[in-house]
Amino acid sequence: MSEGAVLLEVRGLGRRFEPRADRGEAVFAIRDLSFDVREQEFLTIVGPSGSGKSTLLNLIAQIDAPTEGEIRFRGRPIAAATAGALRPGWDRQFGYVTQDDTLLPWRTLIENVLFPLRVQGRLSAQTRDRASELMSTVGLEGFERYYPHELSGGMRKRAALIRTLVYDPPVILMDEPFGALDAQTRTQLQADLLRLWNLGRKTIVFVTHDIAEAIALGDRTLVFTRAPARVQSEHRIPIARPRDVRTIYGVDGFAETYERIRKELQ
Amino acid sequence: MIVRGRVALGVLCLAIWQAGHWALGADWISGPVDIVRRLAEITASGELARHTMATLSEAALGFLLGGGAGMLLPFALRRSPRLTAALDPFFTAAMGVPKLALAPLLILWFGIGVMSKVVFVAAVVFFFLFFNVLAGVRSIDPRLAAAVRVLGAREWTVTWEIAWHTALPYVFTGLKVALPRAISAAVVGEFIAADRGLGYYINTARAMADPVGLFTGVTVVTVLVLAIDAGLERVQARSLAWRPLARDATV
Repeated sequence: MSEGAVLLEVRGLGRRFEPRADRGEAVFAIRDLSFDVREQEFLTIVGPSGSGKSTLLNLIAQIDAPTEGEIRFRGRPIAAATAGALRPGWDRQFGYVTQDDTLLPWRTLIENVLFPLRVQGRLSAQTRDRASELMSTVGLEGFERYYPHELSGGMRKRAALIRTLVYDPPVILMDEPFGALDAQTRTQLQADLLRLWNLGRKTIVFVTHDIAEAIALGDRTLVFTRAPARVQSEHRIPIARPRDVRTIYGVDGFAETYERIRKELQ
Repeated sequence: MIVRGRVALGVLCLAIWQAGHWALGADWISGPVDIVRRLAEITASGELARHTMATLSEAALGFLLGGGAGMLLPFALRRSPRLTAALDPFFTAAMGVPKLALAPLLILWFGIGVMSKVVFVAAVVFFFLFFNVLAGVRSIDPRLAAAVRVLGAREWTVTWEIAWHTALPYVFTGLKVALPRAISAAVVGEFIAADRGLGYYINTARAMADPVGLFTGVTVVTVLVLAIDAGLERVQARSLAWRPLARDATV
C-alpha cells in the first residue's frame, strides 16, 4: 500500500451527453466526481454497469473533454471544462488499455507492440530488447509475426497490455481489460499484470465491474454510484503483496472486504 | 479445380464463337482462326504494338491524373466533414454529367492528340475512386484512431496508419472497376478523333467494312483488360494479406 505523493486529482468532474435530436434529455454520465490517485498506487474502481466508469477514463486519457470540473496531474490542470484542444494521452503520460481490442489488425503482433516506440521515435536496440523481454514475460514469444485475428482473445489482451507498458507511461488506465475473457485466462492475465506491476511500480487506475478482481488487484477500491457517477465509498484493501490471485479468495480480509463492497453495490 | 473450370468455360466460349461463325458466316462473325491470323500479321508489321502503346499510355496518364486525384482527395477531406458535406452535391452533379457527351468539347479544348483522351479517361476514372475511397476513409474505427493518438501518434500517422489501411480494400474495389474503364475510355476517345490507338484501329476497320479487323481490335482490348486485372489481383492479394481470408469461410 503506497503512500506516495498525490499524482492525479479529480475535482468536481462532470460529463454531460447531449441527446440525439428529439430523443430524451441530456444526461450526466458522471457529475460532481472527486477523488485522488497517489503515485505508484493501484487504484481499482467498481460500479454498476453504465455508471460512467469508461467516461471517466476517457476524460483522464484526454480523448474526451469534461463538461464541468477539472483534472490535475502533478498539480497542473490537464483537463477542464474551459480547456482548449484535447491532447490524447497527455504527451505519453497516460497509457490506456481499453475494453475493446485496439490492436491494428493490419500489423503483426511485434509491429503492434513496437508501434508506440516507432511513432514516438524511440525505436532502438535497447527498446526492442525490452519489448521482446516483455513479450516473453507474458508468453507471447513465437507469435511475433502473427496478425491479431490469428490469435486468441487472451493473447490479444496481453499484446495490448505490452504495447502500453513498452513505452513506460507513468500512469496506466485500464477499462475492464479482462472483461470478455474466460475465467481461467482472466486469472492468468491478472497474475501477469500483478507480476509486471511489481517489476516497475506504475500508477494504475483499473476499472472493473468484478468485485473480486477489484480486491485482488488493488491497493484501494472506489465504489461508484449509478449514473451520474460519484464516489459512494472508498475501501483500503488489507491484503499484503505480493499476492497470488489464484488463492486470494482464502486470504484473511478478502471475504470481509468483498461482503462490504457487495452490500454497497446493491 | 478453379483453373480447370476456367479452361473448360473458355473452351466453351470459343466453341460458341466458332459455331456462330459457321452458322452466320464470316460477314457477320469472324472466326477465331481469322483473328489469330490477323493478330500474327499486325504483330509482324508492328501495328499492334504501336496502337496498343498509344491506348495504354493515354489510359495510364489519364488514370494517374484522375485516379490519383480521386484517391488523394478523400484523405485531404478527412478532417473536414462539413466541407465534404457541402461539396457532395457538386461531386454528384459532376459524376452525373455524361462524359461521352463531353467528348466533342474535350476535342475542341485539347485537340485530337493524346491530351483529349487523357482528360477523358481522367474524368471517367476519378469518380470510381473518389466515392469508393471516400466511403473507406469514412469507415475508420474512431476507437482505433483514439488509441493511436493516446500512444503518441500525430495526425499524419493517424492518416497514414489508420485511414490508409482502413481505406485500402475500398481503394482496390475502386481500382477493380476503374482500371477497365480507363482502357475503354481511351478506346472510346479514339473512336471520336485520333490517328492511332486501338480505338482508331477498330474504327478504321468499321469504316472499311473489315469485320476481322473489328473483332481483332476488340479481342486485343479484352485481353489487355484481363491482363491488367490479373496484375491488380496479385497486388491486392499481397497488400491485403493481413485480412482474415474469404477462402477460409463463405459468409
